[in-house]
Amino acid sequence: MSSSSAFNDEKGGSSSVGEPEYGHDPASGGIFSSDYKRHDDLKEMLDSNKDSLKLEAMKRIVAMVARGKNASDLFPAVVKNVACKNIEVKKLVYVYLVRYAEEQQDLALLSISTFQRGLKDPNQLIRASALRVLSSIRVTIIVPIMMLAIKEAASDMSPYVRKTAAHAIPKLYSLDPEQKDQLIEVIEKLLADKTTLVAGSVVMAFEEVCPERIELIHKNYRKLCNLLIDVEEWGQVVIINMLTRYARTQFLNPNINESLLEEGGEKEFYASDDDEDDEEKKAEAAALAKRKPYVMDPDHRLLLRNTKPLLQSRNAAVVMAVAQLYFHLAPKAEVGVIAKALVRLLRSHSEVQYVVLQNVATMTIKRRGMFEPHLKSFYIRSTDPTQIKILKLEVLTNLASETNISTILREFQTYIKSMDKDFVAATIEAIGRCATNIGEVRDTCLNGLVQLLSNRDELVVAESVVVIKKLLQMQPEQHSEIIKHMAKLIDNIQVPMARASILWLIGEYCEHVPKIAPDVLRKMAKTFTNEEDIVKLQILNLAAKLYLTNSKQTKLLTQYVLNLAKYDQNYDIRDRARFIRQLIVPTDKSGALSKYAKKLFLALKPAPVLESPFKDRDHFQLGSLSHLLNTKAGGYQELPEWPDSAPDPSVRNVEVPEWSKCTSRKERKEKKVEKPFYSDSEGESGPTESADSESDSGSRSESDSEQTGSGSESEESVEESQSEEEEDEEEEKMKKKKKVDKSQPKKSESAESKIASEIQFLLSTSVAPTSSPQVTPVNNFLSSSLASDLEGLSLTDTVLAPTTIAPSASVRMYELLHRITGEGLGVEYCFNRQAFSPDPHMVAVQIHFTNNTSCETKNLHIEEPKLQSGMRIKEFPEIDMLPAGESVSVVMGIDFCDSTQAANFQLCTHTRKFFVSIQPPVGELMTPIFLTENEFKKEQTGHN
Amino acid sequence: MISQVFILSSQGDHLIYKDCILMHYSQENSLDLYLKLVGITILLSVQCPQRNKNLNFIHVRHSGLYWVVSTKDNPSPFTIIEFLNRLAALTKDYCGSLSEKSVRMNFALIYELLDEMVDYGYIQTTSTDILKNFIQTEAVTSKPFSLFDLSNVGLFGAETQQSKVAPSAAASRPIVASHGEQVRKNEIFVDVVERLSVVIGSNGVLMKADVEGEIRVKCYLPTCSEMRIGLNEEFSIGKSQLRGYGAAVRVDECSFHQAVKLDEFDTYRILKVCPSQGEQTLMQYQLSDELPCAPPFRLFPTVEKDYGSRLLIFLKLRCDLPPKRYLTFVGISQTVARALLLFSLSQELSSPEQSAELQPRSKAVLWTIPRFPGGAQLSAVFKVEVPRLSSASLLEVGPISMSFELPKYTCTGLQVRFLRLSPTQPGLSQRWVRYVTHSDSYTIRI
Repeated sequence: MSSSSAFNDEKGGSSSVGEPEYGHDPASGGIFSSDYKRHDDLKEMLDSNKDSLKLEAMKRIVAMVARGKNASDLFPAVVKNVACKNIEVKKLVYVYLVRYAEEQQDLALLSISTFQRGLKDPNQLIRASALRVLSSIRVTIIVPIMMLAIKEAASDMSPYVRKTAAHAIPKLYSLDPEQKDQLIEVIEKLLADKTTLVAGSVVMAFEEVCPERIELIHKNYRKLCNLLIDVEEWGQVVIINMLTRYARTQFLNPNINESLLEEGGEKEFYASDDDEDDEEKKAEAAALAKRKPYVMDPDHRLLLRNTKPLLQSRNAAVVMAVAQLYFHLAPKAEVGVIAKALVRLLRSHSEVQYVVLQNVATMTIKRRGMFEPHLKSFYIRSTDPTQIKILKLEVLTNLASETNISTILREFQTYIKSMDKDFVAATIEAIGRCATNIGEVRDTCLNGLVQLLSNRDELVVAESVVVIKKLLQMQPEQHSEIIKHMAKLIDNIQVPMARASILWLIGEYCEHVPKIAPDVLRKMAKTFTNEEDIVKLQILNLAAKLYLTNSKQTKLLTQYVLNLAKYDQNYDIRDRARFIRQLIVPTDKSGALSKYAKKLFLALKPAPVLESPFKDRDHFQLGSLSHLLNTKAGGYQELPEWPDSAPDPSVRNVEVPEWSKCTSRKERKEKKVEKPFYSDSEGESGPTESADSESDSGSRSESDSEQTGSGSESEESVEESQSEEEEDEEEEKMKKKKKVDKSQPKKSESAESKIASEIQFLLSTSVAPTSSPQVTPVNNFLSSSLASDLEGLSLTDTVLAPTTIAPSASVRMYELLHRITGEGLGVEYCFNRQAFSPDPHMVAVQIHFTNNTSCETKNLHIEEPKLQSGMRIKEFPEIDMLPAGESVSVVMGIDFCDSTQAANFQLCTHTRKFFVSIQPPVGELMTPIFLTENEFKKEQTGHN
Repeated sequence: MISQVFILSSQGDHLIYKDCILMHYSQENSLDLYLKLVGITILLSVQCPQRNKNLNFIHVRHSGLYWVVSTKDNPSPFTIIEFLNRLAALTKDYCGSLSEKSVRMNFALIYELLDEMVDYGYIQTTSTDILKNFIQTEAVTSKPFSLFDLSNVGLFGAETQQSKVAPSAAASRPIVASHGEQVRKNEIFVDVVERLSVVIGSNGVLMKADVEGEIRVKCYLPTCSEMRIGLNEEFSIGKSQLRGYGAAVRVDECSFHQAVKLDEFDTYRILKVCPSQGEQTLMQYQLSDELPCAPPFRLFPTVEKDYGSRLLIFLKLRCDLPPKRYLTFVGISQTVARALLLFSLSQELSSPEQSAELQPRSKAVLWTIPRFPGGAQLSAVFKVEVPRLSSASLLEVGPISMSFELPKYTCTGLQVRFLRLSPTQPGLSQRWVRYVTHSDSYTIRI
């Protein structure tokens, strides 16, 4: 209260004499003070005309709000200050208003005009915060005012205000759902916004208001993909999640054509329970045969490529969002890249570790191979909390295979010595699971577990007994020794579950231990009354089984036990005793069932399946709260299944000029590509794996998406997926830089110049003089700062990031045979800038056939090439049949000997022959080669 | 989408409560239900989302405070956890230090922060650069009386040599200086922190060694000027490249804060960055399996069964660091046996300032050495009375784990060569660099 007394002197000067005096200390009012007097000192301070007093009062009021105390009776006093000039006071008044406006609707209306004025303020920050508070005042009367304000703000100059408008949309929607249609219009408008600042917020609003209107995304899909890297991190998470859902509805499953053998091999591990899966697979295989080969939509590829660099984000939420995107959307071969990023998250806070491990555990069940190289990262540290230890065990168990089982078991051995009981129990169970999953080590595990039986810790012993029981059930014949050993243990072990397990084992396999079993029953009969219920039930079971197999020795004992049980306190046990007696003891009117008693009791029991508790989790979307809880959280949206046939991809096409004039240089560059003599200085650069070239060439067939200019860079995909993420990307960036550097000096080498050496870095034999020298390398990848956005800069420079990572490759198609001259057979070709694997000297030419006739064309092949000296052709394999209306792409190789002379040859079908020629344009004769970073640097210094 | 945000004290008292979407659940209802469900004791152990009817709670723990969020629908748990971590970090930046006391003194400030960060349950921003435009409230700090402060002032106000070392509390003040403060200190603190986790097998072979390190910067400079941090020139990443002639400083992996410019990194190993105010991690790196130096400790344990039911444990500990270095706070604990009821310990230690005690809960012996100079060798004999001692119980003697702090030393050898600000700040600008190696988990198996 020191503050209030301090202010009193000041107040003395300003207030009138006749004012009644209140106690300085609110407590002085004592129990008799009525409610409205409670905050009188604060009210006085708010009414004074000194800013410092007002500020102090507001701070105390906000502190009350923060502690959850009710401060609503101060509303009239506070709301008066909404027009206060002092920004600090104003700020705190806003904070207060947002909290209490709903409770005091009439008074809140007094403040509206202030905000309306604020919406017109020249300062963008004030405009934004006025809109924010206005939209937070949850009073239905002002809905039209809010609507108007949002609409206006949505076309504000400042991206920051537009962002605030996007945030206001869900608020208004929750206040009045009837505004939905108007709000969707605003969302549609904001979705078209090109600034990164707005993108995240508007997608949030989209997800909240109209997630079902997926068609709104079509036109903005490519833009969102390209902007993604520069959006602020929280927006990235939302956008990635939305795009995951979008991709699931719009693209085909990339793993649809996966070789069944591979699939089978991987599933074998869990072979015990996937009979249904097998059937499914067969059905799938049948369907597969009919289906044409899978071609990845270039937009699908664009999404995968643009999200990949975000795996480096320092925000765990972004990394996980990308990881789940890859897991749900990427072709199997490419999912591996996320493993490293997820393992990196394991070095973060333990809360993050916990959630990551949950997700990894689910992933390891489906894709074991992905995490195998990182096995060591999941070793347990003595400092980990128990829950994390148990999750790591889970992952290790899932990762166990024939090759690494010995190391894993050695690790487990040391874990058993831990002090943490729950962890030790989990370890023993994990050993059991390894033993069931991997047949080779079953005996080793069993022996190890039997050794644990002599451990001094009862809990260890008990857990071992339970696990051994499960293991023995799988092959009891060979292990009567172990059963004997366990029978001895019954004297010492006190844990009921363990005792029960031993008794069950002895009963079940009494024929393996004929001498010991009756003796155990004798002992148990003695202690029957003192046992736990679960043990008593097993004693009854043991007695019944022995009676059936060895009635001579155990008849009396069984009678005795049954009599004891008859008067037991627990009705389960009484019931069981009655049931058993009726069944096994032959009486004169014994029912028909007693004949089958032996079959009933000694039926062959199926071995239990020890399986991962994470097995059923994968039907939840990874990285979601529902997955973590393993129950549906409110608002959980199922990830849609892949569609059977892809919806029309052209809906995503955007008129090029519509957004290519925006900001980014990428688009400008790509427009230049359209010029015929533009030699692409940014073409292929990275190392290329040619093995997958078929699938790449396939993606060329989506020719209608070519003209959009947004780049269908599917040839990029291969190298990207196989490359080590960071280094290679850096490398690529460097190469890019390098290339542009090189084009600057305007060296125009002649087209005929021979390639000097294999290590020649840039093998495009001619560098066009037209290539724009003003294009400077951009290396501040990820450098967009939100601060710059705030200043109202639109993101002119930063959008470039995607281009710097991946060379854009809008490849021009040339016509080889017009469909009229070709009698319905249209042929186009392009230089796909891939390495041609059979011969490194050759240039890969992708040829795209389209059959426009109504009957099929057969035996497409090449004949009688007429070539200049030194030129060579590697023909594509003959195409047996091209059905009517279908198209197909093949790749052939041509060694042009670094000249621009045309290669002439005949293209033959089963009926006709066509003379065609391919003339390479300047700039397409290049070879991608692989360089290590060091080699590259050496080259770099050499050239400059 | 975030429904409510709470900050709780270690006793479970509500410090801060913000109802983001005005659900009008009375806070007592929802949170107390939660606490009843989870119980403050479980809250203490591990952090994970907890579910209660239709509200889900996620909490993390920082500096003895619980940061709790409740949510009604299905956000990514990472988003929430990351948000809570950022909130804690920002609170620390704005209030100077993070404790129940500092939170209590800055209710209004933290509430204002929350108000800017979360709008109607959506995270707006967590960046200091943006937030500093909006946050108006000043932090209230308490200045505890400290002998360190006095030691800096020499006789007659003359600066003593001590001032070459910044007081340990220097880095814990709010980033935004209050207007009243006359001289604003332009200080920058750089910490190179490494965490060592080592497993040594029973035969003395190094089984696993990992170093995780980071370079953290805490910046109080009001204006953004470029800072250049020079690392060792021999610094190399990955296995392939080796640079320079000196002993290479090698790490396996390296990741940088997105604000770091790397154009001079490849050639000169210089990190360029315009640090925003507050604390941030500029660089993180990992090195696994191949430590450039031997692990700092060697321990030679022998466990024997004495006559009767006594267990004899000889421990010989050698520190392999160069003699100038020393370790502080070495704690060595060893599980002795599992199932003991009665149990007594007698010890022979080589110096009086060491201590050893038996911890009945964990059944472990804890040997504490306050200061351990490099090159030295210490030994201790523990005799433990274990009832029902059998030869099997020798197997139950668990691994030895050590925890220690190693000041002015990095395991990888990473050093900051220089720290330059350009353009040079007018007035006082002080730069501090600190190195420390912690043991994350240092285990010796028996």
